[in-house]
This record gives sequence, C-alpha cells and structure tokens, in this order.
Amino acid sequence: MKLAAVSGITLGVSRLALAETSAFLAHETLPGRGVFKPTVGRVDGVAKVTGAKLYASDFRASDLPGWPANTSHALLVRVADATHVYAGFDLTRLGKNAQPSVVVTAEDLARIGARAPEFYAGDLFCPVGKTPSYLGQPAALLIFETFDAFDRARLVFRDGDFLKFGAETGPVAVPNYGAFRFTRVAGATPDAPDIYSPLQEGWISPGLLESSGRPIWKPLPVAKGGEYVKGATYGEAIRAQLAGDNPAVLTLDRQFETQSVDPMFLEPECGLAWYDPDAANLEIVLGVQSPFEATEAIAFLLGEAQAGFKPQNIDAQFAYIGGGFGGRDHTPFPLYVALAAMFYPGHAVRLAHDRPQQFQGGVKRHAFKMRSQIGVDRASGKITAFAADHVLDGGGQMNYSISVAVVAATGAIGVYDIPKVDVTTVAVHSRGVTAGSMRGYGTLQTMTALEVLVDEAAAALPLDPIEFRRRNALRPGGRTMTGNPYSVSVRTKEILDKLDKHPIWQKRADEKARAKPGFVIGVGVACAAKDYGTGADCSLGSVEIDAEGRISIHGDAVEMGNGIGTALANRAALSIGGIADEVTVAQVDVFDALELMTSGDAYTITQAAQDEAAKNPRWVPAISSATSASIGAHVGTQAVAEAARIIFRFGLWPAALSLWGIASTDPRSKQADEAYWQGETLIMTGLSPLPLSAIAAKAHAQKGVTGAMAHAFSRWAWSQGVFNIAGEDWPADIDALAVRHGGDRFVRLDRKAVAFPPTDYNRIGTAFSSLCGTLVRVEIERATGALRIAKAYSVLECGKVLVPEVVLGQAQGGFAMGVGYALLETLPPFEDGPGNGQWNLGQYLVARGSDLPLHDLEIEILSPLASNEPPKGMAEVVMIPVVPALLNAIFDATGRRFQSLPVTPEMLKRALA
Amino acid sequence: MTKLALTINGRAQGPVDVRDDLTMNDFLREVLGMTGTKFGCGAAQCLSCAVIVDLPDGTSHTEPTCVASAASFDGKKIRTIEGHSGDGQLTVLQKAFIEHFAFQCGYCTPGFLNEGQVLLEQLARTPAARADLETIIADALDGHLCRCTGYIKYHEAVRDVILADPHRFLKGG
Repeated sequence: MKLAAVSGITLGVSRLALAETSAFLAHETLPGRGVFKPTVGRVDGVAKVTGAKLYASDFRASDLPGWPANTSHALLVRVADATHVYAGFDLTRLGKNAQPSVVVTAEDLARIGARAPEFYAGDLFCPVGKTPSYLGQPAALLIFETFDAFDRARLVFRDGDFLKFGAETGPVAVPNYGAFRFTRVAGATPDAPDIYSPLQEGWISPGLLESSGRPIWKPLPVAKGGEYVKGATYGEAIRAQLAGDNPAVLTLDRQFETQSVDPMFLEPECGLAWYDPDAANLEIVLGVQSPFEATEAIAFLLGEAQAGFKPQNIDAQFAYIGGGFGGRDHTPFPLYVALAAMFYPGHAVRLAHDRPQQFQGGVKRHAFKMRSQIGVDRASGKITAFAADHVLDGGGQMNYSISVAVVAATGAIGVYDIPKVDVTTVAVHSRGVTAGSMRGYGTLQTMTALEVLVDEAAAALPLDPIEFRRRNALRPGGRTMTGNPYSVSVRTKEILDKLDKHPIWQKRADEKARAKPGFVIGVGVACAAKDYGTGADCSLGSVEIDAEGRISIHGDAVEMGNGIGTALANRAALSIGGIADEVTVAQVDVFDALELMTSGDAYTITQAAQDEAAKNPRWVPAISSATSASIGAHVGTQAVAEAARIIFRFGLWPAALSLWGIASTDPRSKQADEAYWQGETLIMTGLSPLPLSAIAAKAHAQKGVTGAMAHAFSRWAWSQGVFNIAGEDWPADIDALAVRHGGDRFVRLDRKAVAFPPTDYNRIGTAFSSLCGTLVRVEIERATGALRIAKAYSVLECGKVLVPEVVLGQAQGGFAMGVGYALLETLPPFEDGPGNGQWNLGQYLVARGSDLPLHDLEIEILSPLASNEPPKGMAEVVMIPVVPALLNAIFDATGRRFQSLPVTPEMLKRALA
Repeated sequence: MTKLALTINGRAQGPVDVRDDLTMNDFLREVLGMTGTKFGCGAAQCLSCAVIVDLPDGTSHTEPTCVASAASFDGKKIRTIEGHSGDGQLTVLQKAFIEHFAFQCGYCTPGFLNEGQVLLEQLARTPAARADLETIIADALDGHLCRCTGYIKYHEAVRDVILADPHRFLKGG
C-alpha cells in the first residue's frame, strides 16, 4: 500500500517476501498450498516445526530479492550511567580487526537534520557534554562491514563498554509525562444520571505542580483549571467521606507497590535495512506489532534530512511474527535500524539486540506505587467509596506512559459497582529504562492492588470473599468509572458463581487442615475485568474464493503467537464454510483498491471535523493500527468477517439459489439466514446439500461477488456504513468496501452512508471488557518458603471463541506469566537494574514448567451468551487475577498480606518463621 | 582458528576455518544461514538454541549452541529443526506439536522439538514405567523456556505421542 507521503517520502508497507518465491509460498504463506496441511492445528504449524524463516531475526540480505549479497552488522551502544556527563568514547580497545566502518552519534544526527518523532521525543543519541536522560539511552551506533569484525567487537564489549563520563550531575530532571484525575459520583439510583463523571464533564488534569514536579491534586482555583476544580471538589469530598470516623463503615487505607519487569519475548528485537543511494530507496525488514507506526516514524526521522540521508521511498517489510506481549508496539528500535542503513549506503545492515541489550533497551512494564482507600458499609457489605493515588515510573522516554496511566486508573475498580470513585494518577520520568506497553497494561498493577484490598475488606467485615464480590459486582448496564456502561456482555455473577462452586473453593478448609507437617496450605480467589481495544482500532481484511472453492484471506493484524491467522480462517468459515487455503497476516499492501485516506488524529478530532471529513467516501478516522490491547479476535478479524458475509450474501447464496433452481420471486430466496454450513457443505432445510466447490464455480460463472475487501474502525463502537451491492443497500460494521465479481478486479464501492462513532466516545475509558476469575491453592514449606501451586482454576468469558485451542493456550500462558509476575520476576530500578546492560536470563527468573501446576490447572471458557455474540479480547485478562489470587492464597496460608511484588521464598520463609 | 568439519542433518559440512571464539549458534545462523536454530539469551538459559548431538554409541542428547564454540563441535554429528522431517513428511512429534497447538509464537519450538525427539528416542531404547511418564517428560523439558504457552500443551503433545505407541515407549506397554 502506498501511503500518503510524509515529508515528501513515499511509504510502502508490505509483507516480507523471500528471494525465492517457492520458498516463500512454502514457508510464509499460511498454510501454504502443496505442503502438509493438518486437519487440526494452527495454520502456521508446519512452518514453525520445520524451522522456516518466519522471524525478522532469520533474514539476511541474501534472503531478499534485489538486495546486496552480503550483510553488514551494527551494534547499538547504550549508556549504563545516567548521573554523569557523557564525555564520548574511545575505540582503541576494539583492536584493528574489530574496528567499525562507520560510527553514528548525536552529532551526526544533528548534522544530517534527523528528527526524533514526537512519540520518542528526546535525544536519540546522548550528545557529548550532556548527562544521559536515562539508563540504556543510546550513545553510538557502530556499523561493521563484516560479521567477523562485528563479532570480535561485541565480544570486547562484554568486558565493558568504551564510553567515558565526566562530572557527576545527578539524574536529569524531566517534567512528569502526564497526570489525570478520574472522579465519578453516581446518582441516587443505578438508573439516575451521574452527578459527576468523566464522560459528562471530560477528563481533567491538575493545573499546578509542586516544585518537585508532582501534581497538586487539591482543587485550587487556577485560571486553566476551572474544569479541574469541579471534579477535584467532588474527589476531595469522597476522600473526606473515607477519612470520616463512621463506625457503620469499614475503611481500609493501604499502600501497594509493583515492580518493573521485562516482557521477555524470546526473540530479541531485530531489523535489517538497505539504503540504495542510486534509487534513493530505503528497504527495511522488521518484526513489530505496529507496522504502520514504525514506517511513519522512520519517515518522520528522515523527512527533513539533508540530501543523501532523505530517501524518496521507504519500503518496509514485516516478518510474520511481530508480537512481544506489547513490548514490540511502538518501540524506537526501528529508527536505529533505519539509521544504520542510511549511514552505510549501499550496504545491507542488520541490527539485532542480544539478550542483555534487550534488557537494557527494550520497553518494560511500569512499576507502580499505589495508595488505595476503600469504604464498605458494614451492614450491607456494599462498597460505598473508593479512592486511589497512582504513581507510575515511566522511565526515560514517555512512550505509552500516559496511556498506561489512564488505562490503569480507569480500571482501578475492577469488576465492581462503586458509586463514588476518585483516582489520581501521575506518570513520572525517571532515569530507568523506558516503560511502555505490556500485557495487562497498567490494570495488572491496579487490579492486583484492588483484589488484595477487597480480600482484606471481606476478611475484616467479615464476609465470604466471593459473597463480598458478588454483592458489589458490576451488573449488565452498570456504569464504569468514566460513567459509561460496557457495550458488551458483563457476566460477573456467572464467573463468581463458577468460582464459588469449584472444589478448590468448596474444599478449602479440608485441604488446609490436611497440610503435611512443616507445610501450610492456603486458597486464594480473585476476579478481574480487562478492557480490550484502544478506542481507535482498525481492521483491514480481504477474502477471495476462486472457482474451485479455494479461499484466500489477507489481514493487517500482526501475529503475536496468538494464532491470528487461524482465527481469521475460522471466522471467515462461519460465513463461507471452508477453512482458508491461504492466510497472510501483517499485510497492508494489498488493500489499494479501497483507496483509503485519512486526516487528523482519531483520538482528538472534533465532531465537526469528523463530520466534514466523512463526506469524502474514501476518508476513515485511521487506516491501520497496532496489534495490541487484546484486539486480535475482536478487531483483527472484523474486516475479514464482514467481507466473508458479503461474499456469502452476494456471491455464494445467489449461486446456491441458482443450483437449487430457486427463482428470485420465491420466498426462500430471502431466507439466506436460515442456511448453514456443515464443513464445506451448505445446508438448507428441504433442499439438497451443496458443496462449496460447486457453489463457488457457479458464483464465478454468474459473476457474483467472489471477493470482498473491507476496512473497519472502532471507537468503542464500529463505524457503520451502507453500501449498494447488486442493487441492494447493505448495512455493515465497516466504513470502506471493495468487491470483486467473478474473476474481475476489485472495484471500490462508495459508501452511501456512514456513521462514525461520535468523537465524544474518546471520553470513555473503555466500553469493551472481558472477565476472568481465578482460584489457586498453594502449599508452602515453612523451612524454605518454597511455594508450590497445588491446584488452580481459571474461568473466563470472551464471547464467541474462534479457535478454542488458542484461547485455552492463551489462558495457560497468561497463568504462567501471572505466576512469574507474582513470585519470580523483578528488575531493580536504576543502576542495579537492566539499564546497566548486564542482565540476562538466569538472573531474571521466568516461570518454567516446574514452577507451574502442569497437570492441575483447569481452564473453563464460558459459552457465548448467544450464537452471534462477537469474539471478545481475552489475552490479557487471563493473566490478571492469577496474581492477586496467589497473594490472597499466600495470606490464607501464612496470615501475612504482602503489599509488594514479587513474593519470594525468602519473604515467605520470614513470614512463617 | 580451527578447521571445523561436522555433520548436520546427515550432510557433511566443512572443513571450514572458524575463529576459536565463534559460537556454534553464529556458525549455524551466520555462516551456514541455518536460522531454524534460534538465539534467545546467549547464556544457555532458554535453550531455544539447543541442537541434538548424536553420539557414536547410538545415544543422543541436546546441547545449547549459544555458549559453545563452533570449534567444540568439530567431528560431531548434530541435528537441527530443519532436519526432522524427511521426504516432505513430518515426524510424529512435529505433527503432535501442530495438532496440540503446542506453541504460540514458536520461537522456542526448535528447542522443545529437539528435546522431545531425544526423549522419544531414549524411551524407544529404554522404555519407562507409565507411572513415571509425567515426571520424565517434565524433567526432560524443564530447561526450556517458553514465554507464551504455559508449557502444558508441549507436555501433552509429547505425552500423547508416547501413549499412542506404548509398546515402543513404555515398559510392558
């Protein structure tokens, strides 16, 4: 796809092709015709068990058509000191066989006129004479002609870098990244309008800062803070209520801290790029979650560069796997890959982190400090008010810190219906490694604190923990903290009932009493609701069926290991019967027929601007978005689902009618909804079953719709367009459409009408949520503090399940990551942390099989409420309750409530001493 | 420098001069272009880089390649993920991994596949008691890190392959 030019640079974004087409089809096209196709299993299965080139790190220049034969290698040198003035470097220690051909520094970027994109604002390289603003900040990029020179150099670097530092300055002071206050005061009854809510009044931020840089949360009457004063006044009233000495109310006031952790995706970040100076063309190969963003960021970086450093074209190619649990969404790494190529023109240059470099430079999960206050009416067991103050460490660059702060704050009341809520949050800069997106995205931290607090409140009342949750559970139609209801199913009560009836819970007292000498046993429960989607999510997809009934699907979603290719195939099959013969992902180069254009920012555009822009039938609020926020099933498959529906309704169904000999005047011709598929056979009561191959042949013969390509946009609701197809107005949850008749080319159809979600939906925290509850039983040895998870159960709801095995696998993987977060993983801040460049696995503990109840973890997935309930995001929610459930089980076993993570055997041993 | 010659997936490679501090992982990935063997940590902690080493006595084991020099593999016979399937046919373990949805991103799969294959071959030589099977699988796979799956489906895939052919892999089967 050719995108709108950025700074005069034409951008192309495409999937990665191999030099040999046959190899590409065998390895990257999924499942790939002519290769073993399992009757069950992932569509990418063969490629992954045969060592096919699927990952960005697998590619060298010789794999790519038209590229130079040889690959050069780059080394990104990062600082391990952020309290002294950077004084440059000395390369002599590298020796003559390990000298770089090119060295790139801050001075070079300034010389050529390179610009840091706003999202990565700051110095891309620390200039000589400045104190680095964070540990891990790049200082230089060394480019080596040969692998041998590179390899020799990196071995030298393992014995210490060659960077020099001067006077001590202390850490660089940088303003907060952002601060918000979310306050809601409900009306007198659940149906009454809110007295105050962010949805009604807009989001507010404090206008004043202390000299330390911390926000002043009091409702001070400052000129720009008028709207803040109103919300803050309600907020302070809630806090006053919580501080009041009311014997009828149980009040708890607790601190909770969570640690920084690494996403620890197994493939370190990597890229390959080649700048051809003759053609002024930059080619780049990456594996990221946000292909569009990466390409646009590179274009901005070089958009105003001097001659020789500003490509006319950027052709970005993306490897099949881009996922990293959020850690490969909007990272600055691609910028350095591009710079490596631009500063070594004519050479293909590979930049790849090793693991210590990934720890030093990759984005981390935010560490949180939280104070939470809860008030509970003792008589009813109902939560009357909740207040919290969050401080999250964003590290050296802003990245997603503001977004994480907002999502964390608006998720801070979990699955509960609380009439008075006041949450402040501030994301601060530090000299630590940059924090960004990671699975759980802030709510892991805040909901862990909440679920531990809720457990303590239940014990203090006293009330059964599940009964306490049940009394306060958010009901369908109930409002979230921002004042809007969820627009999807809310099944809190069912989840709680499942937990309540489970043997782990029912038999907890018996098991506790059965503890072996020297051991203690405890059971914990927790429940979480996790948003999915970002409020500006896009889906691009196309479906085609040929005259033999073979199906091809292309989508723009990125494979994160979550089986998106399989999900696309399965969702399309709901409408067109067959499982696709070909599925490709991370595609944005095959949707030219839609002729999309965009303008403005989907998050900040005004209603008037959106209304005006929408008059252009090619305009959409955004074209493509990152694969993140658990949107794979819900968003990633949406365009393909709608495309498949159109093929059925305007291609396969008319063909089936012809085969059955049913005339258009026959009432049965209007009963398409009553037909259904059994495998690749179309069934209609009273009529002969029809094979898909015959229907497809007929659809082609009569020039029906045999291909559809669509774009969808969600701002907590789908854009809804109306398209005239074959003389019929067809409403669908898409805003752009092209169709193909028979074997013709795709032709764009102008929408007859469109309704984009209102722009004030941007005030919604989230409207999409999935729920998960977890029970764990732990056994702890007194002498050692060793903890064993004896049994566990997670129950979740996620609407229509597209690939049950994938959902189950995500739940199992989420459980493992939750165990790691609760019990194992931690990165100290600052000089002892990953920014020192010395961290690796072994020191950083990730859950292994022996840490998990491999044969004692039960996952239950609730059936959808209705057969047509859409799929919901679930990849994050399955991780969250695991963490507080473990903490609550530890309390049950030890009597000690831990208020920080991780809880190590040493801590448990001390608690039991 | 060492003149390295070895057999990879049944094919002779070398002799070729390699630096003594070149890792086997880099020899496979950078010199030979065999990128099926992954690089994960460089510290022999994740084992995504593990390959099968076939010994003269007919037994096999896995070894990490990220911390071992290429020179240390001189004269050895190894197998990598690229060498499991032959004549377009997947092995029973490869099929089981696919059909069990054992992996997600798949970056750790080469290591698990090699380890699982070694276990199957070991059990074929020395069958185990059924009662010990889960422990044996857990012990065999525990060194391998997977960040996506929670390991359960890998274990189930290996176990199901064994249980599907008890006469071959289990005592008294």
